[in-house]
Amino acid sequence: MNTALLLAQTGGEVTTGEAVAFWILGPLALAGGLGMLFSRNAVHSALWLVLTMLGLGVMYMVQQAPFLGFVQIIVYTGAIMMLFLFVLMMVGRDASDSVVEVLRGQRFAAAVFGLGFGVLMVTALARALTDVPARGLVEANTTNGGNVGNIGRAVFTDYVFPFELTSALLITAALGAMVLAFVDRRHTERKTQREMVEMRLRGEHDRPSPLPGPGVFATANSVATPALLPDGSVAPESVSELIEATSRKTLESDVAEVAGTVPGPDAHALTGKEGDR
Amino acid sequence: MLLAQVEQVQVPDLDFPAIAPILIVLGAACVSVLFEAFLPRSARWAAQFGLSVLTLVGAGAALLAYLGDAPATGVTTLAGALAVDKPALFLWATLLILGLGSVFLMADRRVEPGGAFAADAAIRPGTIQDRAQATTVMQTEVFPLALFSLGGMMVFTASNDLLTMFIALEVLSLPLYLMCGLARRRRLISQEAAVKYFLLGAFASAFFLYGLALLYGYAGSIKLSAIAAAAGGSDRSDTLLFAGIGLLVVGLLFKAAVGPFHTWSPDVYQGAPTPVTAFMGACTKVAAFGGILRVFSVAFEATSWEWRGVLWGVAIVSMLIGAILGLTQTDIKRMVAYSSVAHAGFLLIGSIALTDEGRAATLFYLLTYGFTTLSVFAVISLVRDANGEATQISSWAGLAKRSPVVAGIFTVLLLALAGIPFTSGFVGKFVVFSAALADGMAPLVVIALLASAVAAFFYLRIIVLMYMREPEEDGPTVSLPGVPTTITIALGVAVTILLGVFPSAVLDWSVVGAFVS
Amino acid sequence: MSGAFLLPALLFLPLVGGVVVALLRNNDKLAKLAALGFSLGELVLAVFAWIAFDANGARLQLTSSVEWIPQFGVNFALGVDGIALVMIALIAFLVPIVIGASWEEKLPEGRTLGGFLSLILVMETFMVGVFAATDVFLFYVFFEAMLIPAYFLIGRFGGPRRTYAAMKFFLYSLLGGLIMLASVIGVYVTSADVLGKGTFEWAKLAEISKDLSPTAQFWLFLGFFVAFAIKAPLVPLHTWLPDSAAEAPVGVGVLLVGVLDKVGTFGFLRYGLSLFPEASKQLAPLVLVLAVIGILYGAFLAFGQSDMKRFVAFTSIAHFGFIALGIFAFSSQSISGSVLYMVNHGISTGMLFLVVGMVMARGGSRQFADYGGMAKLTPVLGGLFLVAGLSSLALPGTNSFVSEFLVLVGSFPNEPVFTILASVGMVLAALYVLRAYQQIMQGPVRGTALVGLAGGPGSATDPESDTFKSKIADLSRRELIVLAPLVALIIGLGVYPKPVLDVITPSVTATMTEAGVTDPVVAQEGDK
Repeated sequence: MNTALLLAQTGGEVTTGEAVAFWILGPLALAGGLGMLFSRNAVHSALWLVLTMLGLGVMYMVQQAPFLGFVQIIVYTGAIMMLFLFVLMMVGRDASDSVVEVLRGQRFAAAVFGLGFGVLMVTALARALTDVPARGLVEANTTNGGNVGNIGRAVFTDYVFPFELTSALLITAALGAMVLAFVDRRHTERKTQREMVEMRLRGEHDRPSPLPGPGVFATANSVATPALLPDGSVAPESVSELIEATSRKTLESDVAEVAGTVPGPDAHALTGKEGDR
Repeated sequence: MLLAQVEQVQVPDLDFPAIAPILIVLGAACVSVLFEAFLPRSARWAAQFGLSVLTLVGAGAALLAYLGDAPATGVTTLAGALAVDKPALFLWATLLILGLGSVFLMADRRVEPGGAFAADAAIRPGTIQDRAQATTVMQTEVFPLALFSLGGMMVFTASNDLLTMFIALEVLSLPLYLMCGLARRRRLISQEAAVKYFLLGAFASAFFLYGLALLYGYAGSIKLSAIAAAAGGSDRSDTLLFAGIGLLVVGLLFKAAVGPFHTWSPDVYQGAPTPVTAFMGACTKVAAFGGILRVFSVAFEATSWEWRGVLWGVAIVSMLIGAILGLTQTDIKRMVAYSSVAHAGFLLIGSIALTDEGRAATLFYLLTYGFTTLSVFAVISLVRDANGEATQISSWAGLAKRSPVVAGIFTVLLLALAGIPFTSGFVGKFVVFSAALADGMAPLVVIALLASAVAAFFYLRIIVLMYMREPEEDGPTVSLPGVPTTITIALGVAVTILLGVFPSAVLDWSVVGAFVS
Repeated sequence: MSGAFLLPALLFLPLVGGVVVALLRNNDKLAKLAALGFSLGELVLAVFAWIAFDANGARLQLTSSVEWIPQFGVNFALGVDGIALVMIALIAFLVPIVIGASWEEKLPEGRTLGGFLSLILVMETFMVGVFAATDVFLFYVFFEAMLIPAYFLIGRFGGPRRTYAAMKFFLYSLLGGLIMLASVIGVYVTSADVLGKGTFEWAKLAEISKDLSPTAQFWLFLGFFVAFAIKAPLVPLHTWLPDSAAEAPVGVGVLLVGVLDKVGTFGFLRYGLSLFPEASKQLAPLVLVLAVIGILYGAFLAFGQSDMKRFVAFTSIAHFGFIALGIFAFSSQSISGSVLYMVNHGISTGMLFLVVGMVMARGGSRQFADYGGMAKLTPVLGGLFLVAGLSSLALPGTNSFVSEFLVLVGSFPNEPVFTILASVGMVLAALYVLRAYQQIMQGPVRGTALVGLAGGPGSATDPESDTFKSKIADLSRRELIVLAPLVALIIGLGVYPKPVLDVITPSVTATMTEAGVTDPVVAQEGDK
């Protein structure tokens, strides 16, 4: 059908269709990347990234690598980015990154490394374009049932053992998730409401009724205000023990924070100074 | 047109008897997970413990059965993914028996009432529910995890291509990360250890994977033999080769806790539950060095001139870090961790000798070191005070007075670590150093001996504390070990002394010849 | 009588004894008797070995060999030449004396005498092993293993700073040992180059010693040299000895200085000269310099010591200088003298240690300044102190004289300068010994240790009074029995050293042949 086309590609020539597809997808992918970097909202960022990945996936397909293209779309955009979005939603989409520089000279180092990486990429690309002869995908795409067939063959012949072994990895991961996240609550005994009422009336608790709430007066709506008993005396149980027991000193920082007299977060906020809560 | 070319896929040959031990261990791990799912909580401990022991013994039996008619040069099977040769079989046997000892330690519920593992690791530390579970019976997921890890280790030592090796590396590591965080006591430090190990381990895996990719780019194949062939004679870019080797080796050295890639080990050794520390200290070391030996001898032998100098340096750094930082430790588990870094340096010397003697010596050293380490941690788990294990070195003062037997056993083990004659540690050092010397590494041997003299100081410090100081008033007591721990300690001490006095039989076994590829 | 069983028996009897005594440790009396019994049994065996040994026979006798680690050609091979035989005899002779001397030892709280004696017997096994091994690997194993009982003996049963001393002792020795291990392995590897298959057998290694390149010899010898120089403390490496000897219990001090340190000088002969002849000659000037420095430095420091046990340790450093001088002067007289010196030093310094211990047992202090005029109270102890001291300063008529004289006479033709310097040491020896004697024994009764015991200054201080004398008693019968054999040997070997020299000389000649050195032409036949 398109043997001629394939042969042409082996020689490294670019067909018109391919060029058109590239010039449409390339800017889109690039725009996705830039959009991801510059959008302020994390969810938007993720969606921009999806655009980039979709563009890349289609480009793979155009480049005679349909399997890779679909994997790119299914795995990256379909699974991984969706997980990303889930996590973002769970954390709260308003949560913004801390822009505080924790490590001294972090920005500078990042700039240097970024630049270095860029140089590496450019040189590698330049070399690939000049020195390396294109091998083409004809052989892989035509023999033994084509690209997908070859991958399937490799997975079930040469790499059958590593492939099977990954199952051990998955089982371990599932087991680990269970161990670390699942709390077995069946064994903590829950009493029914009836049982609890009976216990209360039988005198197994200090008092049958709940503790009285704090008093709220016209002059105060603080929980620290005690309730008054019918005879006008103070009901001590009405104020939380915590309020009585907490000395003013420990609350000073909170007071200051509410009053807005403390400085905002600085670069050392994360290093954990003594008494810094 | 494409469909017409599809033909029947040839299933790769499967040498079942050869890989039976691996299949048994991994299969039993899956069964063990099912036990977790379907057995009532009360029956799990007995079932899991029984299954694990049975598995390891069964795998050992399968190994012995295969050993009888195994081809002398070894075979590769599963399309060359696994190479089952004499070194691999030796390592498997070592792993199985050390694994058995570790499983015994994990199963003990007497030293720490209820077991060394949390009853419910998902409960947040320090909460009311956490305090309530302080004395309830432990979680048993640790058994399948240990089996998976052990299976991964066995594959790792026998894998004949880098991809299998990488997956095996993950299979052995992932359960370890999990097990580190399951301690019953001091849970926060245990979870910290798990996270730290996980993050650094993931980082090291990335190094390994990157190296793998570069080597694939260089050789066009991930098979060790193909890489060797490519390196043997070709005009391809050496940059790819050496960058690949460097990154790959970093990943391997990390697993083996060779300095300067050791930074995780003191924290993790300290935080992990002691049976898991024992498992890591003994089995991971064996697996990692098994892998290092294979990769070096099979894939990179032709280029040994280029990388050997670097690894000389690494070995020296490792020995010095282990010996010198070990001096400053106040926690006994951290001290043993640093000692293991020093020992990793010694092992590396044997590994880079790349001779038959060097290989045999490293294997022998791994065996002896594994047993000694296992019992060292077993003994550490016995010395306890009100807060669990008394790992502060200072609190070991006068132990000999309170429990002369435990102090005596620990002294023997420490002397073995220091490499004093009539212990296995001495014979191990001797064989490694003689192989290294025969291979022309005299300066390295001298440095190694000086490092072991320095390291002897901190082993000795503990002996001094135990024998020559008076016990403190509220010092720790030695709790009576349960049967499993007793078996492990007895086994370890017996091997330590026996291999020190009559090493020749095992030395014979350790002469395994070359790797197959 | 082939006597092949004698050495294994000599080796394992004390080990068995050690185990038995350890089991009996809760019964002091029984443990003591058992320990004494085993050590006397050992002495009897040693006598048999002496009889079975033919001085003019083969180079190594009473040999036996069992394969141990065939992969590395390691054999459990035992055998003795004349030099090793006299050292083993010295061990077998000293151990019962040490046990007798420790009969009523005051140990730190919580330690049993049984444990102490059991460790002494175990150490005896390893010491015999070091001298009897004819396999370099086996030698090394015993060399290192010897440290462990010694370490525990010092660290558990010693004086106030015992932990520090034990640690220092162990680390010094271990460091030396590990450096030696490099050379032991090196010897094996180079022998594999020469023979095709590596060996540790001493006799074979001595045969191929000439085939080794000078460079290889130099480096290999250096490894052994460091270990031996630490053991037989040559000067810059000696600092552990005063601490260890001072903190060790008296009996252990006797074995430490009397026997254990001789491993170093013995090693120079057996493993230095015979295995690395060229390197020995090359390094001889260095050793000679260190030896002479040791003689003078040890003597000066001995003169300046205020602590009696450290004093004995420093005299030993001076004596070890003489031994090393004799060995590396490379003449048959000087080497024979050195070997004889090794025996005599064990006897005379052992005795000096014991009498110092007996003084300390009475006064309770290690300081010279706390004593004075003790001979008035304890005339017998005073007399025996003098005998030990005179033997130590090599007075003619005592055993040490013969050996010191042989060393100096033998060394002179080869190394006149060093010999003259060394003889200054003899004069210094007279000074420090007599000063010590004078300080402790002569003059009016004084010093807090004695006067304080008798009731404090100002009360009942009349040394002639009966109450005073009863507090500071003279030697008991047990102490006399312990010292008597030593005195007998000091005088006996001083007058008639021939039996020992006869055993030594053929081995010395053989060693010299192996080392490829000959007597200088002016040397005379030197038996006396």
